[in-house]
Amino acid sequence: MRDLAHRLIAYEAGGGKPTESMESSTLRVYEKLRQSLGEFVGVAGFQSLASRALTLAKPEAPSLSAARVDLDGTLQGVGKIETQIDMDKDRPSDGEIILIARLLGLLRIFLGEALTLSLLRNSWPGEIFDDRNSENGR
Amino acid sequence: MSTQDKVKINKLTTGVPGLDEIVGGGLPEFSFNIIAGAPGSGKTTLAHQFVFANATPERPALYFTVLGESAIKMLRYQQQYTFFDPSMLPGSIRFINLSQVVLEKDLGAVLDQITKEVEKANPAVVVVDSFRTMVRKPESDMDLQSFIQRLALFLASWQATTFLIGEYAEEELRDNPIFTVADGLFWLRQTAERNSIVRKLQIIKLRGQDSVPGLHTFRITDAGVQAFSRTFGLTGHAKNPPTHRRLSFGIAELDKMLGGGVREGDSVLIAGSSGTGKSVLATQFIAEGIRNGEPGIVAVFEERPQAYAERAASLGLDLETPQKDEKLTILYLRPLDLSVDETMHSILDAVQKIGAKRLVIDSLAGFEMALSPGFRADFRESLYRMIFALTGIGVTILSTVEVDESFTEFPFSTYSISFLTDDIIRLRYVSIDGQLRKIMVVIKMRGGNHAKDIREYEITDNGVVILGKRLTNYQALISGIPVRSDRPGSPDEPSMDTGVEHKA
Repeated sequence: MRDLAHRLIAYEAGGGKPTESMESSTLRVYEKLRQSLGEFVGVAGFQSLASRALTLAKPEAPSLSAARVDLDGTLQGVGKIETQIDMDKDRPSDGEIILIARLLGLLRIFLGEALTLSLLRNSWPGEIFDDRNSENGR
Repeated sequence: MSTQDKVKINKLTTGVPGLDEIVGGGLPEFSFNIIAGAPGSGKTTLAHQFVFANATPERPALYFTVLGESAIKMLRYQQQYTFFDPSMLPGSIRFINLSQVVLEKDLGAVLDQITKEVEKANPAVVVVDSFRTMVRKPESDMDLQSFIQRLALFLASWQATTFLIGEYAEEELRDNPIFTVADGLFWLRQTAERNSIVRKLQIIKLRGQDSVPGLHTFRITDAGVQAFSRTFGLTGHAKNPPTHRRLSFGIAELDKMLGGGVREGDSVLIAGSSGTGKSVLATQFIAEGIRNGEPGIVAVFEERPQAYAERAASLGLDLETPQKDEKLTILYLRPLDLSVDETMHSILDAVQKIGAKRLVIDSLAGFEMALSPGFRADFRESLYRMIFALTGIGVTILSTVEVDESFTEFPFSTYSISFLTDDIIRLRYVSIDGQLRKIMVVIKMRGGNHAKDIREYEITDNGVVILGKRLTNYQALISGIPVRSDRPGSPDEPSMDTGVEHKA
């Protein structure tokens, strides 16, 4: 899931404007997930999932310590922390990847891999989910 | 108006095995249906099966979830069913959560949201699960009935076939104005009876279609809901014209007693107490059929197929080879939790699979015991329906039944089911000359002559063998305690009865 999270963020970074930072591409991934998942699990359902993902990610990524999920499911406090800690914006920070990976991991736990990928394919092009495009083939 | 001027209503498969037949061939396209029932009765699963069977990328299904079961958990559990194809989400099937709108706004806003999504997606199927949880807000000017009426009107215009799912208790079904809007009303119920769960489905109404009335058993397996029609799916089958062919038991003397054999398409009952050879006769009947190119089914409840085949082998009857050649199926129906109808369906499936001409049910007592306690009350009625359906397509049925031996009466069956049978053969013990011997008599043959003779028989290594001539030098044989008389020996030919009805 970490590899997939990396690919989604990288895809958003590639499609973004050159001036946009990597942290905003992470937020774009998060927002797409919020929109697509929110449609079927509801705002409250997504907020619960995202909060759980953030709680799981924080011990692994101190950079997320100030992050929080609002009641409407939006992610707050990620950009500021990332800017302070990770000045290299050519690649996403571990914290960002971990958060997205945890969210995807929860989906996989609850819905299984096949259904998770089916739902993600609605928001991203299919080739992203082709393992041949992954760094380590996982 | 001629037939060709009338509108043709397309029928959509329900995706539920057995249900298409119950609803009269499929669900009417663009119909507005309500699935009602208690929690856990299978409403959501049934709706999912319909959705997965009918949604396409061009005409998707919109599945609106409201309050109640979390959508993520619903999908988590529903995907365990074999019909659930994850690749159909979200292209062909979209789940849309309306809980926020329901909580924060009123029914008008819910209707607006559904309208917006339907206009955007042009769905073939719309499900609202569960509409019952939508409660009118005090400040809202729309009540649930108005909401449903407007929704029904809108969705019909948009050419969507719709299911609303709601939790309702049985008493709420009566005189509920909400249900008048629906074209179809499906009622699912489950009740606990003794230690088992009994699930039943009723089509309370279905406009424009000839659905099968009554309560139909259903089961929820890993394939989802499976319904068992009360007519066993044979409503569309043409009845076989009656034949005058006689089927042999492979026992010449018995065939003679039966006036040449059992009439094809008859239901035969062999009644007798334990050890009188009911199963042996049944096995000989099925083996003789196979010898004559008539595939057979044996439904056993009291022993496993291997044991049954081994017992037949001890009588010199090979049941292994015809099983391998798919000329014979020995069905062992696992005991204790079956509904009558699903047992009947297992038998029917087997009959249709190999084109069986002979069916043995060994025994009715075992059959009844194999049923879930809650279904035993339906036993006779279901048996009647199955016998009627199977004999109607020309299958000859032989059932065995154990009767308690009595020395004051001569019962044919403990089930009062002899009215279901065309022919009855009664076996019993008699005490003669210090021995417990066996006698056989044909009690009735509907529509045919049969011997009135009481014949003695033995069970040998070759099966049932009828001995000598009829027993004329005893009186009160059927009492089990005959009295020797001094009458002369029996004539060579059996004395025939003309088929007068006997009462059980």
